[in-house]
Amino acid sequence: MAGIWLDVLDEIARTCSAHGRDDLLQTVRQKRTQLLDPKLRVLVIGEPNQGKSQLINAIINAPACPVGDGRTTVLPTVVQHAEAAYAAVAQAPPPAPGRSAGTATVVAVERTPVALNQVAAGVAGTVGRRPGGGPAYVEIGVPRALLGAGMVLVDTPGTDEIAAVGGAGPVASPSRADTVLLVSDSTRELSVTELDMLLHVMRSHPNVVVVQSKTDLVADWRAVAERNRQHLADAGIPAPVIPVSATLRLRAAAADDRALNAESGFPTLIARLQRDMSGKADQLARVAVQAVARTVVEQLAAPLRAELATQEAEEQSGPISRLHAAQREVDELRRCSTRWQNSLNDEVADLLSDIEYDLRDRTRQILRAVDEAFDTADPLVAWDTFQDWLERSLVEAAEANHEWLIQRCDWIARRVAANFARYGYDVLPPWSMTMPEDFGERLPELERPKVDRFTTGQKLFTGMKGSYGGMLMFGLATTLAGMPMINPVSVGIGALFGGKSIRDESKQLLRRRQATVKTAIQRHVDEFFVRVIRDCRDAARQVQRMLRDHFTGLTEELQEAIVQSFRSAKQEADTDAALREQRQREIRLKMTRLAALYEQSQQLSGPRSAPGLLEPRA
Amino acid sequence: MTVGVRLDEAAWGLLHQALDLYRANSRAVGQLRHQVARLEEPLRIAVAGPWRSGKSTVLNALMGEEVAPVEGADGAFTWYEDGAAPRATAYPVGQPAQELTVVKSATGMRVDLGWGAGEVRDIVVQWPTRALRQVTLIDTPALTGAGERGRVSVMDRVLRDADAVLFLTRDGRDSDLRVLESGRESAVGQAAPVNVIMVLSRADETGGGRIDGLLTARQLARRHYRDPRVGALAVNVVACSGSVGLAGRMLSESDFGALAVLAGVPRAELEAHLLSADRFCRGDLPVRMDPDLRAALLDRFGLFGIRLATTLVRSGFDNRVKLSAELIRRSGLTELREAVTRCFIDRRDTLKARSALAAVETLVRAEPVRGSEELVGTIEQILAGAHEFRELRLLVALRHTRLGFDAELAAEAQRLIGGDGVGLAARLGVEHEATVQRLWEVAADAQGRWRDRAEDPILPLAQRRGAEVVVRSCEGMLAELAAGGR
Repeated sequence: MAGIWLDVLDEIARTCSAHGRDDLLQTVRQKRTQLLDPKLRVLVIGEPNQGKSQLINAIINAPACPVGDGRTTVLPTVVQHAEAAYAAVAQAPPPAPGRSAGTATVVAVERTPVALNQVAAGVAGTVGRRPGGGPAYVEIGVPRALLGAGMVLVDTPGTDEIAAVGGAGPVASPSRADTVLLVSDSTRELSVTELDMLLHVMRSHPNVVVVQSKTDLVADWRAVAERNRQHLADAGIPAPVIPVSATLRLRAAAADDRALNAESGFPTLIARLQRDMSGKADQLARVAVQAVARTVVEQLAAPLRAELATQEAEEQSGPISRLHAAQREVDELRRCSTRWQNSLNDEVADLLSDIEYDLRDRTRQILRAVDEAFDTADPLVAWDTFQDWLERSLVEAAEANHEWLIQRCDWIARRVAANFARYGYDVLPPWSMTMPEDFGERLPELERPKVDRFTTGQKLFTGMKGSYGGMLMFGLATTLAGMPMINPVSVGIGALFGGKSIRDESKQLLRRRQATVKTAIQRHVDEFFVRVIRDCRDAARQVQRMLRDHFTGLTEELQEAIVQSFRSAKQEADTDAALREQRQREIRLKMTRLAALYEQSQQLSGPRSAPGLLEPRA
Repeated sequence: MTVGVRLDEAAWGLLHQALDLYRANSRAVGQLRHQVARLEEPLRIAVAGPWRSGKSTVLNALMGEEVAPVEGADGAFTWYEDGAAPRATAYPVGQPAQELTVVKSATGMRVDLGWGAGEVRDIVVQWPTRALRQVTLIDTPALTGAGERGRVSVMDRVLRDADAVLFLTRDGRDSDLRVLESGRESAVGQAAPVNVIMVLSRADETGGGRIDGLLTARQLARRHYRDPRVGALAVNVVACSGSVGLAGRMLSESDFGALAVLAGVPRAELEAHLLSADRFCRGDLPVRMDPDLRAALLDRFGLFGIRLATTLVRSGFDNRVKLSAELIRRSGLTELREAVTRCFIDRRDTLKARSALAAVETLVRAEPVRGSEELVGTIEQILAGAHEFRELRLLVALRHTRLGFDAELAAEAQRLIGGDGVGLAARLGVEHEATVQRLWEVAADAQGRWRDRAEDPILPLAQRRGAEVVVRSCEGMLAELAAGGR
């Protein structure tokens, strides 16, 4: 049978190195050495003042470990066989700088012999220990047949903290012990701390015995033992309870009283230890290997499981998400391009109607001014001044309008560019729209309209025409009064009438002139309007075209970049998925192997179900 | 101490200041009024400790009667107060109070809680006895470790409800000390360890029940006493075997008779029978003794107690009174009672004031309102300035460093600041019936000497500061004498 557990252990070791876990390998190797070692290492743990040291003394029937009051045991004490009694404080030298503490090379421990009468001080940690050194322990050699058979007893400082179990150095570590004795005295039942301690030790160490000490002190120790067994059963700890009394045992040894020895309960304990010792190479080892297998498999499986879990999490955050982001980016760009085109078209249409209205408004104002002016002024007199004013006004109107156009175009360009802000591409096209220099020249020439002048001949003629009627009318009337046809009255009246008709005629002429001029100017302004508005349209359209070309180019550029990133993201995601798939397969394979290994180790002592952590994932 | 502000007055003032501040909060007002009322009540001493540390036994030993524990009251606080007639009332959570039947027995009384224990929060037992004249004793449930979640820990409640604590521990192990340390988070808690006496209970079990176990336990207690970590937590450390003490206090003639019979057996032979409890109960003793009697003896005395008692009977304590006195002395119960008197009852004003300060501090920290910082300031001022606390702090310092004073001076300083008792005679180290004149002389002399020390520029600062406190104590005594003499 020995070969089989050894095989399993070696298999475990191989698995450890395959997983690259040198730390575990170290543990397994150490366990191997320990299991092949025929010595039985018995570790005694427990809360303070439970009689741990006394228990060891009673087992070997010799006052090897100092017992007393308060905290006596500070250093772990290793009691083993020796031809002659000796004691020494052993201490690993302080870790040399440069060599990491993790390298578990076997360091030669320094031993400082301690006089036998100073053992108590040694165990209390006050003698023979170098400050700053590594963990120290006391070694006591006693010539005893029981020890000679290969038993090593390790006493530990009492503690009621789980974390401190085995904290006193590697010597006191439960992992290096073959049997762990938890000592709890009979004055009370097992405490919560003790049960926790047991659970903690049981995790890594299957062979635990609860020793209920000091049965001599109380009468109802049997009831306490019964309740302790119940507590253990409730907590699921398969550890036997052995009640003992060290006092009785030591007394029995002194008096050589067999009955008393039997009463002390020690024969049961020692029989148990001896059975462990003889069964170490077989039963004990198999159980130990099982425990090692469990620990190792758990330790190896934990990171694998964690990796599986994180991989799943990564699927949400890794390349796939980048791919999704790229996809979103493409869509967004498409939306953006529609948006900027729409906004460009709308804005330009608005611009054109606005500009036209503006110019119309300006020219209408000019015309109104012209109307007002020529309601009174005579074009003949005022024309030159007026022409200057009109030309200036029109040029001003055209310029103002154009300026506004430029501003609006600029605004439109920015407005459209804003659509690209999230790409950081909100640059304007390198363009400049300036006011044409020759604005005045490009306007149509205002021709002087043909107007009728009231010449002197016409005046004379008109006067004559007017005076004739009057003179005749009054001449006839005066003839009735016996006066000649032409008399001073009729001549006077005739002159009066002539003057009036001249005035009337000239007024009429003026009005006609004014109307002519107005019509001419209206025509001119219309012509001006048409020409200017055409220029504006041209300019606006030019701008639109330029903006469109610019932003279309920009969109294409962007699209190319985004599609490129999309493609690379997709590629990455594909590769990643493949890699992950492969890794998962690897992990699953490893898990299966671990499960098989675990099964194999459990077969050592009958089939048992694999722990839940190795069941394959749904 | 009439010099400066009196601590009890300061506490009273603080409580009223808090009442004024929290007048809108009816719950807080209720709490504060309760604290004001507590100032006039007897001192509350809780017996606390981890599971099976002997709380009820120590309580019984202090009372001299078997009154604890109340059967089935696992999670409840049991209050023992003075009363005209024996009476017990249970206060279940969310139910009206309920009277419990008290069964008087030869050695005390027994109260049985009729129903499930978890529901009851408090049980108040009134018991006519001299021991309860000045104090109310509280039996508490076992202290659980920090692992217990979701409920206020027993220690918190102990510190809140009791003015002083007898903290029982088997051996002063770390986990027990940590429970005590958890109570020191507040400013009041850190001011001075005035309200805790650590008791190494079950001292009889030290050293596996050897006959010198109690002596060893006493040494252990002294070692703990000098330990700075314990010094910061407890005002005193006493080793006491509750069971031996109780057995001593309740030693009856028939008990003595049985013990005397046992002592009559030749020593070597008896020792063989006293090797284990089993042997004593079942073995065939050379003298006739009923097994039931043996079991009863064992139950009350413990194996160690029987060994001790028989040895004592053999060595001359040959009647009930003598044996009882010696058992009580040996058990450490005398020391414990002395310590309770000296550290708690004599300092009841300080302890009461301390409880009030702690209550106000808890309230202010839990429900801060505008102006509550001022209250915190006042608390800190009282803690820093009150002479009682300065004395206590100096006591702790003297205990484990002596501040560099030589042993004689340290002892004198300790005595003068009340380390050996706060009465004038105890402080001055003179006989009890000394005249006022003599007291005055001694106090004036001490004051003069310590003033020189306080003003000596050669001495290190810590020593001068310490000496100042001593001078202040002397001045207080002189003032007290002057006030009394007038």
